[in-house]
Amino acid sequence: MISIHDLHFSYKKKKVFTGLSLQLKTGHIYGLLGKNGTGKSTLLRSIAGLLFPDKGKVEVLGYDPAKREPDFLSDVFMVPEEFYFPNVPLSYLIKHHAPFYPRFSESQFNKYIQEFEIPSDSTLQNMSYGQKKKVLISFGLATNSSLLLLDEPTNGLDIMSKSQFRKVMAGALDEKKCVIISTHQVKDLENLIDRITIIDEGAILFDQDIEHIAGKLSFRISHDSEEIKHALYSESSLKGSAIVTTNTFGEESKIDLELLYKAIVTNGPKVQSVFNA
Amino acid sequence: MNQIFSLNRWLLLTRKHWSENRKKYTLGLMALTGIMIVWFIFNIIMEPYNAMDESIQYGTYYIGLFIVGCLYGSTLFSELSSRPKGINYLSVPASHFEKTLSALLYGVVIFFLCYTLIFYVADFIMVKIANAVSYAYWEKHYSDGQAFSPRKIVNVFWGNERAGRVNINIFFLFLLSYFAIQSAFILGSVYFVKFSFIKTALVLIAAFLFIIMFTGKVLGSFVPIGGFSNGFSTYHLYSDGDMDKIIRLPEWINSIVLFLLKYAFAPIFWVVTYFRLKEKEI
Repeated sequence: MISIHDLHFSYKKKKVFTGLSLQLKTGHIYGLLGKNGTGKSTLLRSIAGLLFPDKGKVEVLGYDPAKREPDFLSDVFMVPEEFYFPNVPLSYLIKHHAPFYPRFSESQFNKYIQEFEIPSDSTLQNMSYGQKKKVLISFGLATNSSLLLLDEPTNGLDIMSKSQFRKVMAGALDEKKCVIISTHQVKDLENLIDRITIIDEGAILFDQDIEHIAGKLSFRISHDSEEIKHALYSESSLKGSAIVTTNTFGEESKIDLELLYKAIVTNGPKVQSVFNA
Repeated sequence: MNQIFSLNRWLLLTRKHWSENRKKYTLGLMALTGIMIVWFIFNIIMEPYNAMDESIQYGTYYIGLFIVGCLYGSTLFSELSSRPKGINYLSVPASHFEKTLSALLYGVVIFFLCYTLIFYVADFIMVKIANAVSYAYWEKHYSDGQAFSPRKIVNVFWGNERAGRVNINIFFLFLLSYFAIQSAFILGSVYFVKFSFIKTALVLIAAFLFIIMFTGKVLGSFVPIGGFSNGFSTYHLYSDGDMDKIIRLPEWINSIVLFLLKYAFAPIFWVVTYFRLKEKEI
């Protein structure tokens, strides 16, 4: 579905990507993690055809995104971190914007709007930032585009809305779709994504399936000083030390995305070596 | 489906544009009508006997057209000046050609028709009022001497001007130069992220000065002293005392140069706008 090969991109003098390569397939929700300014949004905009590579190749659904052909644009929907909505009622979106998307489903849109508890008779201008974002996410999902790009989708959402978001997203995926969620709020993606891709310094630092991670790493609270000392990552908490270690005995543990992220950022080569073994 | 142009998609795009901007456009056109009427009333008050003469009507139409048309032209792609609006605009599933064509439909065709209609509505009303005011003024001051001649509504597209041996429609040339200059402002709205009107105006002034300097100083040093007449078909070499020598150029050169000067600028700028939109990154 998405094939990125040797991507180079820079903003004037600031280099963002220097040879990034990545393959993404349908039927998955990808979590794109990384520190601020590491190029998550730039990568999403390159996939959406809003930025053009300096060098290298980006291919999405068999299209060159930079051409921004209508068939490509109608099969890709992006929810940017900062977005714009004209001052129109919700019905406008269905009447004037939805016809551009051949697989748009009005019933799905209404269902998502209800799940997000948005009053259907309100004007976009009268909505809060969070409400507008939920409308945009609902619209994006209802387009049934093959590729949905979400840039920091949980920014500006309250606690209840974040949980609604996870519920809606989990029910929206099928094997023909691919969803990429870029965020630095890793907790918001727990139980939602099935592959984690971490970008750092313009390159892919880590890229693994959740299932594979669960098989290779163990996340738990430990009081054993020896175990803590040899852990891939540890941090003290009120209950003891939260650690990430190699899953030697094949035990099942719940993946703590925040711990995993910290482990990879602070101890990347060692974590990677567990997966290469 | 065709990736360059689909009538259905283009119509969707034009409808979408209208539904998003109709309030702004309606208010803008009402404000424009108001400004024209206020200006004409001011003119009637200042010159009650000579109000709404031809030069006022022509001047109002063309000065207004140049100012408002170029201002509006410089906002046609204003979405591209902010990232959220730009992403929204560029992500709409329509081709760059359709987006350019839709912008030109509103900015060039519909604006021109609406502006002309508004002008004539305001002009029709105000000429009637001006004639009533002027007649009352005439009755009071001049009824025993001069005959009263009422003002007529002018045809802003027609005005004969003698240039050499031929009559030219000067207002047709005004219109062509308006479309050429407005097209430069439309291109400026894609090129410049902020203050596109001011920046385009500065670039146009700089380009104009450069052409004057280039033709005067650089080209002028290669060509003998003289000047063109009858368009570009005849070049007079000035000489002291003797008769001027005349160089006749082939008629096709004259035809091509005049055609390009009259008709080429606007389409060229529109085409460049399309290509610039294609390569726009947000």
